[in-house]
Amino acid sequence: MMAALEIRGLEKSYPSTFGTRRIPVLRGIDLTVAPGEIYGFLGPNGAGKTTTIKCILGLLRPDRGSIRLLGRDADSLESRRNLGFLPENPYFYEYLTIRELLHFTGRLFCMSGADRKRRVEEVLRQAGLWGREETKLGKCSKGMIQRAGLAQALVQDPEVLILDEPFSGLDPVGRKELRDLVLSLKSSGRTIFFSSHILQDMELMVDRVAIIINGRLVREGRLDELVSRSVRHYELVVDGVDEKDAARTGLAGERRDNHTIIRVESLEEVNQKIRAVHVLSGRIAAMIPVKLTLEDIFMREIGK
Amino acid sequence: MKIPAIALNTFREAVRNKVFYLLLFFGVFFAFSSRFVSMLSVGDQQKVLMDVGLGSIHFFSVLVAIFTGINLVYKEIEKKTIYNILSKPITRLEFVLGKFAGLALTLLVALASMALLFFLFLFVTTGSFAPRCLIFFGLLYIELLIITSLSLVFSSFSTPILSSIFTVTLYLVGQVLWTFQEFKTRLHEPFSRYVATALYYLLPNLDKFNVKNEVVMDMPLPGGRLLAAAAYGIVYVAALLTLAVVIFRRRELK
Amino acid sequence: MQAKALALFVALTLTAGALQFHYDTRVEYFADRQAFVALPDGKTLKVLSFGYRNLVADFLFIWAIQFYSATHLTNRFDYIENIFNVITDLNPRFKAPYLVGSWIMGLEGGRYRMAIRLLEKGARNNPEEWIFEYDAGFYAYRDLKDLELAEKLFRQAAERPNAPPLIRRKWAHMVYMQDNLDYAFQLWKEIERSADDQLSRDSAFHHLYQIDFERDKQILKLAISEFRHRFGRNPAELDELRVRGILKEIPRDYQGRDYRYDPQSGTIQARRNYKWKSSY
Repeated sequence: MMAALEIRGLEKSYPSTFGTRRIPVLRGIDLTVAPGEIYGFLGPNGAGKTTTIKCILGLLRPDRGSIRLLGRDADSLESRRNLGFLPENPYFYEYLTIRELLHFTGRLFCMSGADRKRRVEEVLRQAGLWGREETKLGKCSKGMIQRAGLAQALVQDPEVLILDEPFSGLDPVGRKELRDLVLSLKSSGRTIFFSSHILQDMELMVDRVAIIINGRLVREGRLDELVSRSVRHYELVVDGVDEKDAARTGLAGERRDNHTIIRVESLEEVNQKIRAVHVLSGRIAAMIPVKLTLEDIFMREIGK
Repeated sequence: MKIPAIALNTFREAVRNKVFYLLLFFGVFFAFSSRFVSMLSVGDQQKVLMDVGLGSIHFFSVLVAIFTGINLVYKEIEKKTIYNILSKPITRLEFVLGKFAGLALTLLVALASMALLFFLFLFVTTGSFAPRCLIFFGLLYIELLIITSLSLVFSSFSTPILSSIFTVTLYLVGQVLWTFQEFKTRLHEPFSRYVATALYYLLPNLDKFNVKNEVVMDMPLPGGRLLAAAAYGIVYVAALLTLAVVIFRRRELK
Repeated sequence: MQAKALALFVALTLTAGALQFHYDTRVEYFADRQAFVALPDGKTLKVLSFGYRNLVADFLFIWAIQFYSATHLTNRFDYIENIFNVITDLNPRFKAPYLVGSWIMGLEGGRYRMAIRLLEKGARNNPEEWIFEYDAGFYAYRDLKDLELAEKLFRQAAERPNAPPLIRRKWAHMVYMQDNLDYAFQLWKEIERSADDQLSRDSAFHHLYQIDFERDKQILKLAISEFRHRFGRNPAELDELRVRGILKEIPRDYQGRDYRYDPQSGTIQARRNYKWKSSY
């Protein structure tokens, strides 16, 4: 199957202030986004997320490497016909109303009048802007601009959507709505590639994720694999066991109030500890499987 | 479809940025200054009125050309709206041409309204109509297109302040470039002569479009000369636009 | 694609250059510019220059120099007075335009009265400067042959502070040239008294000698004609004028020596003969 987006060996550097040398920003990015996927592009600020996206859009010329969108070279015009893009902190013509912006965008895709009218209405509803489309963009709140940006990215009904930091500037309700919208786009077969430095946004919706740090991909894979491979220990919360007894029987752990919290590495060991607790007539208050979060992975990679 | 879309959007921006308020200003300025000047001068009132009118139209339209040109192009980059456009299936060529067409439309509307005001005012005060002024307006429009293309070239790689300075400087140099011909004959060193000659042929010779005097003083304006000036202007604009596209294609939008 | 665009750019630029060339062969810029209509007067331009008065004056001056050295133009002197008046109105203390302007007006255009007007304006606006009236006096003396005007100009120049002694001599010379001999004699006497250089002293001596001679010559001429009237002949020698009671005393030259007398023609000659007047 043809990949929605395929990046191979992407390298990009910027000239330094005096142009005497070049500062590498991307040091070899490889990633593949399958059609119909929600792909998260995660990294701290300045890691190279926006640079990668600009290379995909043809705003920047890569030093090395190839980028293919739906099987086409990314710098061809054709590839951009099926691409919707929401820039980071989108900034649109202040003097246009939301509706005018959408019509203008539609014109850039050479959409016919009737077609445009229909689609503009659809995306206004999708982005939750219905009834507010006559607002001038200069007077919009940040959240509304974000929505307008999303709406204009959707006008020509693209197969691939690239969203740069789509959650920034949205309140919790807006985040929820955006998540729902992205999921519904996915269910209608669209591919969504989005970047973020906020992990919670990703955990709830992405299929696959790539973590970029310092211009390099440090991890790439299915989210559940990436996370489950990382689930390693359990926490056993034990009540009613005397401290000395506990230490003698190998139930040593962290004391908190009346509880002892014991860190256990495997399920087999869990069973052993439970038996030991029963022997000492103690009680299991809770058993918590501790998974590594994306954040842990992220922090661990940054710390390297 | 795409180029007109960008052009119309640019025009709309100019309109909503209240560029045309300047026209209102022109109208008031023209009305007052011409009353004032014709009060002070004795005799040929129509000549004075035409001088003031054509002069201020020249001045105001150049102002519009320089500042809308730089403002509307640089703003796209500065405010990153250009990302949005170029991430659509739009080539840089289409973008430049669209911008240019929009600016040209803006200037056409601005110039046409000023010209209309001028003719109206002239008719009301002197009861006459001076159709020869249309020749001046036509050539002025070509001059404005050159200025706009210059500002497009400069804003394709420079900051708005520098672009304004470059454009204004070239405009002023362009007005007196004809003196280079004379100047050249005074240079004895061959190298500086070559430089002067090269500059003479490279820089925009805007004096060709300035026929204010000839129009007002009813001096002969042979058609061949007008045609040659127009052809020169149009080719010059085409060259500038090509240059703008070349630079703009190379430009990376960080 | 970029290469093609660049090639197009080069081609268009060349075309524009060719059109420019074509245009220039069709329209002669300076010929066209004979239609130079009017420059607003200095006061108006002062307003119009919006505080860049000196700069505008400089530009106009530089432009005027270029314009007036385009010798193939026939009507270029039509506006020169206006132009230089405007320049000097804008910056009255800018001295070069008065001088250069008057050179162009006078030496190139033969308009000496105009040049003198400009220089007098320069003197009015720069009271500490003697050069304007000195130059003007020269034009009046040498080119207009207007000795009275030249005298006035040289006198005014001489009265300026720091005026070099030369000017005083010019002034005195003008007075002499107008045959105002007594006054000239006084002036040269003063020059002689105040002279602190050999040149001034020599010059004063030459003039005093000549003026003295000319005054004596007048007296002797009258006396000789009176003698002829009475006796029907020239006196045989000058002393006969005294002997016959026509003159009380026979004048001698500035150095106290006798004049040479030719009884045949009745004319007098000095030992020294300065031909200033006859060569003027």
